Formats: sequence, C-alpha cells, structure tokens
Amino acid sequence: MSETQQIAGMQGNGREGGTLQANTILQTRYKILGVLGGGGMGTVYQARDLNFPDAKRLVAVKEMQNTATNPALREAALKTFEREANILATLSHPAIPKIFDFFHQNDRAYLVMEFINGNDIELLLSKTKELPIDKIIDWAIELCDVLDYLHSQTPNPIVFRDMKPSNVMIDSYGRVRLVDFGIAKTFVDGGKHTMIGTEGYSAPEQYKGDVTTRSDIYGLGATLHHILTRQDPRMAPPFSFGERPIEQFNSQVPRPLIDIVERALEFEAQNRFSSCAEMKAALEALRKPAIDLPNLNLTTNAAGTAAWETDGSSAIEPKWTFKTEDEIRCSPAAYNGIAYIGSYDTNIWAINIESGEMVWKFATEGGIASSPIVDPANKLVLFGSDDKSFYAVDARKGGTKGGYPIWSYATKGAVKSTGRIAHDHVFFGSDDGFVYALAAASGRFIWEYELSAPVRCRPYVTNELVIVGSDEGEVVGLALSGERKWTFRTRGNIIAAPFVDTIEGICFVGSADHSMYALDVGSGYNSWRFRTHGAIISSPIAHEGLLFFGSTDGNMYAINTQTSREKWRFTTEHPIVSSPTIYEDALYFGGTDQYLYCLDLNTGKERWKFKTNAAITSTPCIADGVILFGSLDNTFYALPLVG
Amino acid sequence: MDLFRRWLGQPSTKDSPEDNLADADANVDTKPAIGQQIQDTEQEHHAAARENPNDTEVSTANLTPQETSDYAIEGATRPLPMEAIVSSTNVHLRFGQSTDTGMVRNNNQDSAYSFFVTSRTVENHPDFGLFIVADGMGGHHDGEKASAITSRIFASNVIKNIYLPLITGQNNADQPPITEALIDAVHMANNEVIAHIPEGGTTLTAVVVIGNLAYIAHVGDSRVYLITQNDLEQITRDHSWVQRMIELDQITPEEALHHPQKNVLYRALGQSEALEVDAVTRRMPANSKMLLCSDGLWNLVEDDEIYETIMNHSSHPQEACDKLVALANTRGGTDNITAILLEIPGS
Repeated sequence: MSETQQIAGMQGNGREGGTLQANTILQTRYKILGVLGGGGMGTVYQARDLNFPDAKRLVAVKEMQNTATNPALREAALKTFEREANILATLSHPAIPKIFDFFHQNDRAYLVMEFINGNDIELLLSKTKELPIDKIIDWAIELCDVLDYLHSQTPNPIVFRDMKPSNVMIDSYGRVRLVDFGIAKTFVDGGKHTMIGTEGYSAPEQYKGDVTTRSDIYGLGATLHHILTRQDPRMAPPFSFGERPIEQFNSQVPRPLIDIVERALEFEAQNRFSSCAEMKAALEALRKPAIDLPNLNLTTNAAGTAAWETDGSSAIEPKWTFKTEDEIRCSPAAYNGIAYIGSYDTNIWAINIESGEMVWKFATEGGIASSPIVDPANKLVLFGSDDKSFYAVDARKGGTKGGYPIWSYATKGAVKSTGRIAHDHVFFGSDDGFVYALAAASGRFIWEYELSAPVRCRPYVTNELVIVGSDEGEVVGLALSGERKWTFRTRGNIIAAPFVDTIEGICFVGSADHSMYALDVGSGYNSWRFRTHGAIISSPIAHEGLLFFGSTDGNMYAINTQTSREKWRFTTEHPIVSSPTIYEDALYFGGTDQYLYCLDLNTGKERWKFKTNAAITSTPCIADGVILFGSLDNTFYALPLVG
Repeated sequence: MDLFRRWLGQPSTKDSPEDNLADADANVDTKPAIGQQIQDTEQEHHAAARENPNDTEVSTANLTPQETSDYAIEGATRPLPMEAIVSSTNVHLRFGQSTDTGMVRNNNQDSAYSFFVTSRTVENHPDFGLFIVADGMGGHHDGEKASAITSRIFASNVIKNIYLPLITGQNNADQPPITEALIDAVHMANNEVIAHIPEGGTTLTAVVVIGNLAYIAHVGDSRVYLITQNDLEQITRDHSWVQRMIELDQITPEEALHHPQKNVLYRALGQSEALEVDAVTRRMPANSKMLLCSDGLWNLVEDDEIYETIMNHSSHPQEACDKLVALANTRGGTDNITAILLEIPGS
C-alpha cells in the first residue's frame, strides 16, 4: 500500500506564494482566491467553485509540481498520483476531507478538496497557553477513530504515516479533520546521506522503511505528547519522549492518560496498542467517569496533593523563632554555634543556634539590608548599614564595652551591599558608587574603585579578580589591585551577586534586565544569556554543571552552565528575590509568597514548604543541623534540617 | 616583587615589613562558597596585614598572593602601566587544514574554512580563530554547493556579529552573546541552503576560539574531538540515526559501523527552517588540541589512531592533518575526507 501514500518525484514547488496568481481559473471552474498554505508537500490554494454561481462554494486546491526529469519517471509519478486520488475519493469519514476532483495541467497535478475552515493544532499550540485536557482526550478519540477507519480499509490498510499537529485541523465546529493526506514524504534520497522526513513524530521502524498501522499509533502518541507537554519533538533527538516525562511539563494530565500516551510511544511496535480501536477504548474509558461524575478523579487528586502539602508544612515545627523589631530583609550567617542576622530595626542580632537565645545585639544608626558575613580568621562579623558605614564587630561578644565596633569605615552612601572576605580583605559596595577594599582585621583602606551608580550587589572574588556590578548595569572585573580589567554592560541594575565557576572560568551575572549572563572570567566576553520574564535579583550558584537562580517572574531555574539549556523550573505564584542555597541533594529558597521551599536538586520537585507571615527575601543558611532565614514578618526562623 | 619593579622601570623601593609577610602568607581560598554557607573556616591562618602606624604610604602588600599571580599588586593606588600586564609572549595558536576527495568519489562535497587573527596592541585582544567543516549531501553538485554556501554565510556572519564587535570593544548586552550569535549564523546559513539548494543539505561543525575558550556549534555527523596529553574526547554528538540507536541501546557501536542506516541523519542544514543547533563551550587546557573532521575520516580511522597520529607522529598540526587524510585514503578513502587541527600553546 505504501505507493498509494507516496508520490515519487512529486514535490512542492515553492516555499511561499505558489505558482498560481489570484484570479487564475483552473479547468474553467476553480477560481484561485489566494494561498492557504505551503510546505514540503506543495502549495494549497483557496478557490471558488464557479459551477455554483449563486452560492459561494469554497474549495481547497492542492498543487503538486512534477519535478522528475526523466519522462518515464514523470509518467509514473502522474500515474501514482491518479491512483492515490482515486483511493482517497472512495474514502468516507467525517474526519477526512472530501475529494471533489483531480486533474493535471502544465506538468502540475491538482487535487480539489473540501475547504476546511479552522486551524491546525500546531497553530492552536502557538496561539494558546493551555488547552483543556478533556478537549485533548476528545481529539485523541476522534483521531483513533479516523486512523482505525483507514487501517480497516481492504484489501490493503492505509497507513497515514505523517501524524503530527500540523496535519490535524480543528474545524469551526470543533471537529477533528485529518489533512495533508497521503502525500507523506518519508525518505528523500540525497545520494550519500539519506535524510528523513518528519523528524520527531515518526516511529523508529519508519526510518527503516518498515511501516505498519502501529507506526500511526506512535505518531499519534508523539502528537499527543507534543500537545500535552508543549515540547516540540522536532527540537529533540528522535525517540526521546521518555526523557521528557509528561508530568514534568504538565501537572494537569491524569496518570491514566499519561499511561496511554506512553504505551503508544513504546519503542518496539509490538508493545504499543495492537490497534487504534484498542487505544480508542482506553481513551474512552478515561472519559467516562468525567461524564458520570465530573472531575471526580481530578478532585481527589487535587485534594490528595493539597492534604499532603498541608501535612508537609505542618509537620515542620521550627526549632525556635526569634522576633526582631522590624523586617528582616537580609540573609543570616552562622559561625561557631552562633547565627547572625541584620534587621531593619538597625540591629545585628547574634542568636545561639542551639537554644534560640540572644547572645548579643549591636545597634547601628540605620536599617540593615546588608547581610552579615563572618571572618573566621579574625573572629569578626562584618556588615553594612543604611547609616553609610561598614562595621566589624567581635563574633563572640558583639560591640565593645562602650558599644563600639572593632572598626568601622564611613562611606558617603548607604551600604546595602554584602561584603566578601577574601585574601584577608573585605570587599563591598556602597550607594556612593564605590567599591571598597579594606584590610579585614583593621578596616584599613586599601583601594576604592568608582562605578557611576550605587553598588548594591555582593562582590565575588577569585584568585585574580574582584567582580562587581552597579545599579546602572555595569559589571566590572577588577584586578586585586583595584585596576579594571574588563567591563560588560547589561540593561538593568545588578543586585544579584555574581558567581564564578573557577574551574571552567565562567562568571554568571544576573541583571534586572531579566537575563542571566555567562561571561568569560578572563575577558568579560559574553558567552550566552538566559532570558527570564522578570528581574534577576536572586544570586546564582553553580553546582555540578547546573546553575540555580530565581527570578521575579516567580520561577526558580536550573540551567546547564555550558549550554544554558533549562533542566527544570519550579514555579511559585510570586516573585523570587531570595537566593538558593544547596545542601546535599536539596535546594532551599524563600518566596515573596511567604513560603520557604525545599526542592529536590535534580528534579526541581517540591519536597516541602514552610509558611511564614510575610514575604521572604532572605537566603537560607544551613548550619548545625538547622535552616536559618529571616522573613519580612520580623522573625528569624530556625527550622530543623529535613531534606 | 623585583620582577614587577623591573617591569615598571622603577628603582627598588625600601622593603617594608609587609612585603615579607605577604610572601610568607600566600594562602588563598578560592573555593566558591555555596549559598550563604560559610566555608571559609579552613582559612584559619593569621591575618598578615596589621596597620603600621609608621607607614604613611598606602600599602597593599599582601593583597595579591604572589604565587597566584603573574605580577605583584604593589601600586594599588598607582594604576599599572599597560606594558606591565600585556603578555610579551609570541606563542600563538597553530592550525592545519587538509581536505581530499578520497579514493572513490569524483567530487569533494566537503567544505573546510579556517580564519585566524592575532594581534599585539595595548588593547590586548585575545587571539581569534574560526574553523568550519561542512559535509554536503545531495546529487547534481547540490552537496558541494550546500556546504560551500554554508561555510561562506556562516563565516561572514560570525565575523560580522562576533569578531568585529569584539575588536571594536562593544562588550555589552546590546550585542548578542557569542553562542547566540553562533546559533543565529547557523540559522542564516540554513535559510540560504533552503532557499538556493532545495535538494541539498549539509552538516556544519564549527569552532570559534577566543583566547583559550572554544565555542562550538554543531549540526550533523561531522565531529569535534578535544585531545589532551592523556585523552581523546569526542565533544560533539552525531545527529545520526545509528548514534541515536546506540544511545537507546538498540545497536552496538560495532554494529553501527556497518549498519545499512549508517548515513541517515536526523538533523542537517537545508531540511527545515526549524533547526536545533548544539552549542557548547569548552576551555582548552594549555597544549591541548582540537580536531574537526568529517565522517570520511572518523569512519575509517579509529580514535586511538587519530590520537597516535596527532600526539606522537606529527610536529605541526598541518602535518597531522595531512597524515590523517592519507591514512583514511589507505583504508579505501570511501568518502571525502576533511580534517582541521588546532593547537593551543602551552602557558
């Protein structure tokens, strides 16, 4: 039967426009109105049938050019075409467009068909964000029905061969119509290399030219997988559906439907459904409960999940909480059994991690947005304040007897930047537009570097460079001497701290211009960027070839550090400004939706979440078996560490 | 320190105590902290710099540990003259390129392209190289036209959208990142092939080298190998049906060599406007080599023979390329053979 499905040597002649002008009249009957579409198979025109002068009867005219150069081959191609058209004309099924006429003239063959007013599913996918699952099941049932009809033809079953979203139209009545019939281009022999036709949807055996009715089942499975996941298989290696589990991309899909699609996509043909009728029965079984008891399954599922979630969060009791007098915007640090946090109440608080009791507090004259950091070598806690100074206090005792710091350094702007200790020095930025390098032990001034806008991000320091960005989007790589080595400009503020993968020599910089950039750390040249839909304020961290960061578009992303390809994303309802923390195989971060989240590092699946009473901008810190973080509800939390 | 002063052309200043302290205390921790976790606790050594009340000059003596940097950091408030940091080395990337019709075919449908620039100015631009192998397919000269158009369009776009912005100092978010520009260039070549050679197609495997960073764009079954002292690593993944079957454990690599579907590609230029391009970035270690080749080479010459030829039997990349092509021809030369070899200098 295969030759009835192929027209050897016949191919579409052009990419766009076709060869016929509008108002051309074919066979003194079909007046061309315009082009409906084109592609590998030939141009399709919309035409009016002039035999019905009083009714505006529209038809579709498919044109195929005979490109064979050998006269015998040309003749054979035409014969094949005629035979094909004859078979199609005998078919009668609601989902198959009717064939009215066929003829050839000027080396071209024409097929006149029913005009279908509607959109193909590929277009629907690009126009919509989400399609109702019930609707997709209905389409799948109708497609099984029409494929079963084709497969039941005698003496030879007809294999459609080219199941894909663009060959399925949904007409104005919402019915499925199968188009681009029988012109399946499967193999175009190109001499040395053989190229394949519709990559992505075809069954494995199809590549060997071994086509059965079960190949259409695979194609239908591939089409459904594409519709449900919105992951285009043409962009992925062949037969890689198993690497894109449906549940990972669409949590709405009920398990039984996933099972059906996965069975249709079995690599070995004998493991798939034996017929479209069998697959149709499985799909109908899925639909039945929805009719009798609407959404029973889904409701139970949703309730089950919700219950589990509630259990998950209520099961977690904080080890302790500590209330400060204003919002906690910054992130904690921990050292030798003591946790440090700054509050907008102007204090740095030191809390005993075991007991949750205050060890000391140190007051500045402004709110604290900068996170405290620990210098273990000098046993200091260092932080900036909106009072424009940067402070170092004793990690064990806080201020001296008179309430003084070990040292402080006054800048000309609020210090919202978090410091970085490296090479016995501390590096931080100020709203006065400078980056400062001070000796950590003494606070002695070493150098300053001027950027033209407030510096609020936390600098990153390598063996050779200090990397820091400004509110005007400028990122600089400074030698440890304070001399600029390179500059890269983004289009938004740099608030997130840069991160350097020192082994690969890549510097990752998030910007409020929505993008994450990968720069060559030696030159600042931009290797790739990854676009999100919101400002990146959350600082990235790289771990085993993946880069993790949040965006104010509400997502936490895990992307490949080499290729910038997304591995997973976790969606929350509100912007994410907190940075991720990795501990063992889990990733922790806070959301402005008031939750602290724990995700599986490899899959991005939620393990548990914990609700506070306000947004969390604080980055969790893990020490001594607890998860430490602050919330805008003024409270400093310590949760027991459960992966 | 002394070396540094010689570069500056300055007399040796009085030795301050900080100098010695710095030399003695060059313990550096560069391990990236994970999140907010404090991991620096191993850095328990004493702080070297203590304020010296007698030192009126600002001293930065211990800021750059000497062992981790080519030059000392003295003069933090006196910007370094450029001459002090521009590498005076005249060692550059070397490359060779060889292509041959082979022993069986009567035309060469492979295209090979090499472009290399090195400069020495105070602006200190890194070396730039662009290397392309494209293996055309299709009858009636379509294959050789497709690979020729592809390397021409790809090369001109890379030079226009990567190289020129780089030497004119436009490093900002208004320019596409290098990998994006590379992928765009592949798409432009793809569109040209579709428009002009509808019956032809081609593979495209290209490497852009900037300094010691290699940016690789790849479609089809030509390959890139990274060769280091102990290892030959295939960096690209063949977009072929047999490779996919190997990945799915359906056939073994041995079966693939003689499989009837050996030449079936599932991805190539000239097939569809929607084209997925593999793009990877690799930092090339000192003295490492990178080989680009068409399947005419790797189908006939085993990986360990490639390694041997390059590492032990050639003194220059050109010699290695010529020998590899000759070796494929002695094995029958059943296909067009192309090899481009890059060699990153030692530091």
